[in-house]
Amino acid sequence: MTPPSEVPVSSELYARVVAWVFREAELLDGGHEREWLETMVSKDVVYQVPLRQTVERAHGTGFSDTTFHLNESYGSLMTRVRRNESGYAWAEDPPSRTRHFVTNIRLAKLDGDRLALKSNLLIYRTRRDQTLPQLLSGERQDVLRLEDGDLKLVARTILLDLTVLETHNLAIIF
Amino acid sequence: MTGAHSNGNSKSVSERLLEELREGLPNGQIPAALFGNEEIFNLELRKIFARCWVFLAHDSEIPKAGDYVRRKIGQDNFIVVRDDEGQIHALFDACRHRGVQICRADSGNTEIFKCPYHGWAYDTKGNLLGAPLWKNAFGGMPKESNGLLRAAKLATYHGLIFATLDPTAPPLEEYLGGMKWYLDLVFGLNEHGIEIIGAPQRFVIDANWKSGAENFSGDDYHLGTLHQSVWAIGAFPVPFADNMMGYHIQASAGHSLSFSMAPSEDAPGPRFFAYPEEVAATFNSSRISPEQLRIAGRSRVFVGNVFPNFSILLAPMTDDGANFPATGVLTIRTWQPMGAGRIEAWNWFCAYRNMTPSQKDRVYRSGLASFSMGGVFEMDDTEPWMLASRTGRSVAAEVLDLKLNYQMGLPGVGIARRTEDWPGPGIVYSPRYEEGVQRNMFRFYSDMMRAEPGSWPRFSLD
Repeated sequence: MTPPSEVPVSSELYARVVAWVFREAELLDGGHEREWLETMVSKDVVYQVPLRQTVERAHGTGFSDTTFHLNESYGSLMTRVRRNESGYAWAEDPPSRTRHFVTNIRLAKLDGDRLALKSNLLIYRTRRDQTLPQLLSGERQDVLRLEDGDLKLVARTILLDLTVLETHNLAIIF
Repeated sequence: MTGAHSNGNSKSVSERLLEELREGLPNGQIPAALFGNEEIFNLELRKIFARCWVFLAHDSEIPKAGDYVRRKIGQDNFIVVRDDEGQIHALFDACRHRGVQICRADSGNTEIFKCPYHGWAYDTKGNLLGAPLWKNAFGGMPKESNGLLRAAKLATYHGLIFATLDPTAPPLEEYLGGMKWYLDLVFGLNEHGIEIIGAPQRFVIDANWKSGAENFSGDDYHLGTLHQSVWAIGAFPVPFADNMMGYHIQASAGHSLSFSMAPSEDAPGPRFFAYPEEVAATFNSSRISPEQLRIAGRSRVFVGNVFPNFSILLAPMTDDGANFPATGVLTIRTWQPMGAGRIEAWNWFCAYRNMTPSQKDRVYRSGLASFSMGGVFEMDDTEPWMLASRTGRSVAAEVLDLKLNYQMGLPGVGIARRTEDWPGPGIVYSPRYEEGVQRNMFRFYSDMMRAEPGSWPRFSLD
């Protein structure tokens, strides 16, 4: 495998990926989860939010390789989408108001037609008449691939900054 | 003026609420304020969490000498550690010198716990080993009386580690009473037993811990409404009405459970909680009686709560109904009391040790996708608990004297009837249209809340 090569911020490819990221955030915040899944996500996607523990510096970041808050496939993501369409998904009906803020986008070429995309993510979420938001911040590590000319999400790992999550559920998509 | 709200009443709010609980329970009436009142919550920390046996960890989480995990009794951290002789200790995470927390990671392996303030160092038994320049600073002071404090008692059952801060607490097995029979047929289905998969998931719910505890005591009726989506997406294989078949069991004082069960051993539908056939074939009566094994074979769902806040669920689940059949998923959790309206939920998944890696992976994926903070079942549960605790804090509930209704299954209410045709311990009702399981939890809660320090209520069911 060739080492990843950085894609310059000024390049056409970088601009294309940024537009992809903006479109994705717009679909998710707008409640268009099915459109997101069907048009932006690869059928073999691996979508994971690993558990994190507080550990001493010598033991690294505390992220687990084997245990997760979410460990999803295309099929299980489709299950979530269908659930929200069922009319009985009380956790998200009325839906949360979410805002995905995606910054610090770094892009590198991997082998083949795959791209490694790293970004910082802040999700601002409120429900009902809450005035204090639930905030979830972390690093998003994505792999994108060109499929029939379209960029598709093949892998997503969300490295959250919290060990105890200050949210009553994860009925949202990162 | 007469009644509980008269101006001349010198009773505190908590005394009044507990009196109303005691009086209302036989009729299935519970004051809503129990789910939000601060005075009640502060009493619970002392009268419930500082006295009852609480779950800390499973021994598979700390298999080797020096392995430790940091856990909670009430709101306080305890280090659950295995010493070099294999003994497990629950050490209060507070240095004897200035009270600083000495355990700085959620889990790990160590020979020494060293306080970051002045360097007092303790071994994995909690003994004080020394401190910098010991002779100059502390020479002549005995180390023996300056070890870490510890839970008054610690005991395990099927590898589940429990502890209590109360030296007058009865032995764990006496405290569990009839609940042991049911824990046996969840955790002891074969000679291998269970292990924890990975680290626990932790998240915060703005709700009262009793909402989690009473739900897992056997609230099956909410499935048809709150969890209706799971049938729409094929996540759960037993239809709502069929799933109400089975038994509600008050196993012993405070501890309740519920089985969704097939009407006979050869009825269609999941057997052994839908564990894969190759796994179910290894279930045997090496640790349990043939009768317990037969009950497990007919079972579709087990849900139960060990008072106060240790909940267990074993149920058929799948993350992707279109591609994978449901598998038995065993999850255990604690509802840590972080405030009158604040729970820190801890959630572990368990697998039988003799399952293959791919079978364990199916359990873990299916469990995460159903009973975790991102799971399609559990994500719906937390919001009503938040709303119930909001009502528990409300002035209107206090002024209008809102009593919550726990009357399902009382004489003349619904179709559930007490059955004597049952091989296990406890008071048993069938089918599951019944809230005696919750009333049993609140009856023991009521007794503990009114018990004087050092005295224990009678562990009777009636």
